[in-house]
Amino acid sequence: MNKNGGGSGFFKGASARHLAVFITFIALIGGFFILNRLVKPPDVSASERRELAKLPEFTASALASAEFMSGFENFAADSFVFRDGLRAVRAAAVFDLFMQTDKSGLYFGASGAGKFEKIDEDSYRGAAGKIRALAESLPDLNKYFAIIPDKSIYAGGYLPGFDPSEARAALAGQLDGIEYVDMTGALDGGDFYRTDLHWDQTRLAGVCSALYDAMDISAPAPDDVIVTAGEFYGVYAGQLALPMAADTMRYVSNAYIDGAAVSYLNARTGAMAPGPMYDAALFSGRDPYDLFLSGAQPLIVIDSPNSRTDRELYMFRDSFSSSLAPLLTAAYRRVTLIDLRYLDSRVLSAYVDFKPGSDVLFIYSTQILNNESILLVK
Amino acid sequence: MLFSSITFLYYFLPVVTALYFIAPMPRGSTAARNAVLLLASVTFYAWGEPVYVLLMLGQALSGWIFGLLIDRARGNRRLARAALLGSIIAGIGGLMFFKYTDFLIGNVNSLFGLSVGALKIALPIGISFYTFQILSYDFDLYLGKTSVQRNFFTLATYVTLFPQLIAGPIVRYVDVERELRSRSHTLADFASGARRFIVGLGKKVLIANVLGELVAVYKSSDENSALFAWLYAAAYSLHIYFDFSGYSDMAIGMGRMFGFKFLENFNYPYIADSITDFWRRWHISLSSWFRDYVYIPLGGNRVKPARHMFNILVVWFLTGFWHGAGWNFIVWGMFFAFWLLVEKFALGKLLKKLPRPVSRVYVLLCVAVSWAFFDAPDIPSAARTVTSMFAGADSLAGRESLYYLRSYAAPLIAAAIGATPLPATLIGKLGRARAGAAVLTVAEPLFLAALLVLVTAYLVDGSFNPFIYFRF
Repeated sequence: MNKNGGGSGFFKGASARHLAVFITFIALIGGFFILNRLVKPPDVSASERRELAKLPEFTASALASAEFMSGFENFAADSFVFRDGLRAVRAAAVFDLFMQTDKSGLYFGASGAGKFEKIDEDSYRGAAGKIRALAESLPDLNKYFAIIPDKSIYAGGYLPGFDPSEARAALAGQLDGIEYVDMTGALDGGDFYRTDLHWDQTRLAGVCSALYDAMDISAPAPDDVIVTAGEFYGVYAGQLALPMAADTMRYVSNAYIDGAAVSYLNARTGAMAPGPMYDAALFSGRDPYDLFLSGAQPLIVIDSPNSRTDRELYMFRDSFSSSLAPLLTAAYRRVTLIDLRYLDSRVLSAYVDFKPGSDVLFIYSTQILNNESILLVK
Repeated sequence: MLFSSITFLYYFLPVVTALYFIAPMPRGSTAARNAVLLLASVTFYAWGEPVYVLLMLGQALSGWIFGLLIDRARGNRRLARAALLGSIIAGIGGLMFFKYTDFLIGNVNSLFGLSVGALKIALPIGISFYTFQILSYDFDLYLGKTSVQRNFFTLATYVTLFPQLIAGPIVRYVDVERELRSRSHTLADFASGARRFIVGLGKKVLIANVLGELVAVYKSSDENSALFAWLYAAAYSLHIYFDFSGYSDMAIGMGRMFGFKFLENFNYPYIADSITDFWRRWHISLSSWFRDYVYIPLGGNRVKPARHMFNILVVWFLTGFWHGAGWNFIVWGMFFAFWLLVEKFALGKLLKKLPRPVSRVYVLLCVAVSWAFFDAPDIPSAARTVTSMFAGADSLAGRESLYYLRSYAAPLIAAAIGATPLPATLIGKLGRARAGAAVLTVAEPLFLAALLVLVTAYLVDGSFNPFIYFRF
């Protein structure tokens, strides 16, 4: 072989350029093959907050049905060496090389990172049907409904995702007799974490005011103390895989919150047991937002002996309300939080005794309304 | 198994490449390396079709047996023709059963008001491609263009050869007959093949898949604007080109790595200046297959004009139907038949006189409209898209289409440039200059390495994106 090609046998006609391409190809294909054999993959992706696919079981039936193959494809992608680094490379290519404005709906805008998702009208109508069925089973309560606006509407430009007017239109005529509480104007982009989908508890005064106005409660003004839990990266930071500044998680402390007693349903025993309003230990877990009311819980009761009224509130809710509910202890003597993703409506009466004349608030983010099948309402 | 998957790139390919080159070639015999390729190809196919792999091998066996019969009947035209007919019935019969049964049932139901239940047969991947390869072997044998292959395993290696098994190019036995017996392996061929493979992979993953997302967005949107319809038309035109030509590049590249020289399947179709020219540049192996095994046996153009028109209509009906069991594919084929007839019998001379940019715009418009039918689930959906493109949209542009125009502008521009010979011409010019060649010696491997890493990043972080032509 020489510079201009030559030699004999395998090297016949090869140039330095051929050799360089050959070595590059073999080094990359072979190198990654060997590295993937040598490096043990992690069980969990911390950045994506999920368990990674494992090598599927090799059985005759799994082979015949091609389940083994599809499982292996997932395993091969999930266990690839330098996975997080490669995900960052892709994100950089999407936004910097191809100058795209989102990566499969994930964007980075004025209010930080987010993910837009169009309204699924069928799912919205399905969710409304479930809410209506529940509301009809609670005849003597004052009923309210609120959609938690997706942060994408505050991103500082049009994004083809959640649209409050489309959401209202999708629900038009579905929730008659339930008062709609519009929260769109009560929030702005700065009220959400820059790297996460959730709102910042310390910036929910407007949301509380909107609720109090609708529910005819004179808004109390507690002397809040803001406590810093620490810095964290929200779910969008991991999904986007772009370098970005960490968020700071802070929570509100005041006389009402500090004086409240929280009890949780133990799904295994069926009994209520006391627990913390804020669990600092969970801040270091997979989802730091679990600090608020201990994350995913089927049923929580907050008793607030210092509240300004003796009214009770039942919240049918998702994770956003974990940070909102503590603030409502100023107004309500008791706040009951029901998460229909984990508690089937058919057994609700065994755990909750709805007090006539109380308020009930159905409050959901668009992520839940777009996936109504996860609400256990039969 | 997808070429554009981690499993293929970093498990299958390194193992098969190593085994292939470790396999000995005593006195130049390719038997051991063919055995590696056959085993690898069966594994490759069974990975996605663990049951239908038996169908594929059965069809190869059938083609081999009928080949032996055709050879034995040489000199007895009637017997040879009967053996060829047997091969056609076995091949086309299998294709008809697995691909078209439910379509036929649906149409019989509609026509006669019946309610015969659909069989809901899953389409074996690549059946249209390997059926045509097997048929080409028996046709060529019958026509005396090739000699019989007495070793079933060698024929099976040809039929199942994993680089081109699933989505072509449709390689004819006569074109690889010599290489199946004896082929050389050189570093230059391997490097050229590897380069072609990586570029094809990049075309698929970085361009076709990205534009496929835009196509999906259009289909799920309620916005009926002219801009969105045109954005879709441009995106789909480039998406299908980069998807299919990317696959062909990978197939040709891998073939070259393993010592085979497959014929080209694409030649910059979007610079064609007539529809006739377009079909000389697009899916060349399919159009030449229909030309040699259907059009010419029907008489081609050496017949009266009416018969010539009939021959064209038959070929394009079959071309459309080959692509899918749906009326939209038949309309798509007949749409091209119409323009080919117009060019042959009316406007051909005028087209040649037109400035080239004008004739190219004419081709691009025709092809973009044709893709609307090709990609649509049914004819009304295609008609809606075409109507939106030309007159019937609610608005010129909407918020969604403007957003996606901004988001996909760079990939669309990159794809449009990449669909022309411009990049290859520039690299060719650079390579011919002494300094340029030196630069390329360093730059090309670096570029290919970066491309492969970028593709890997997309695959590690991406979702399943099968090749469009897998469903044919």
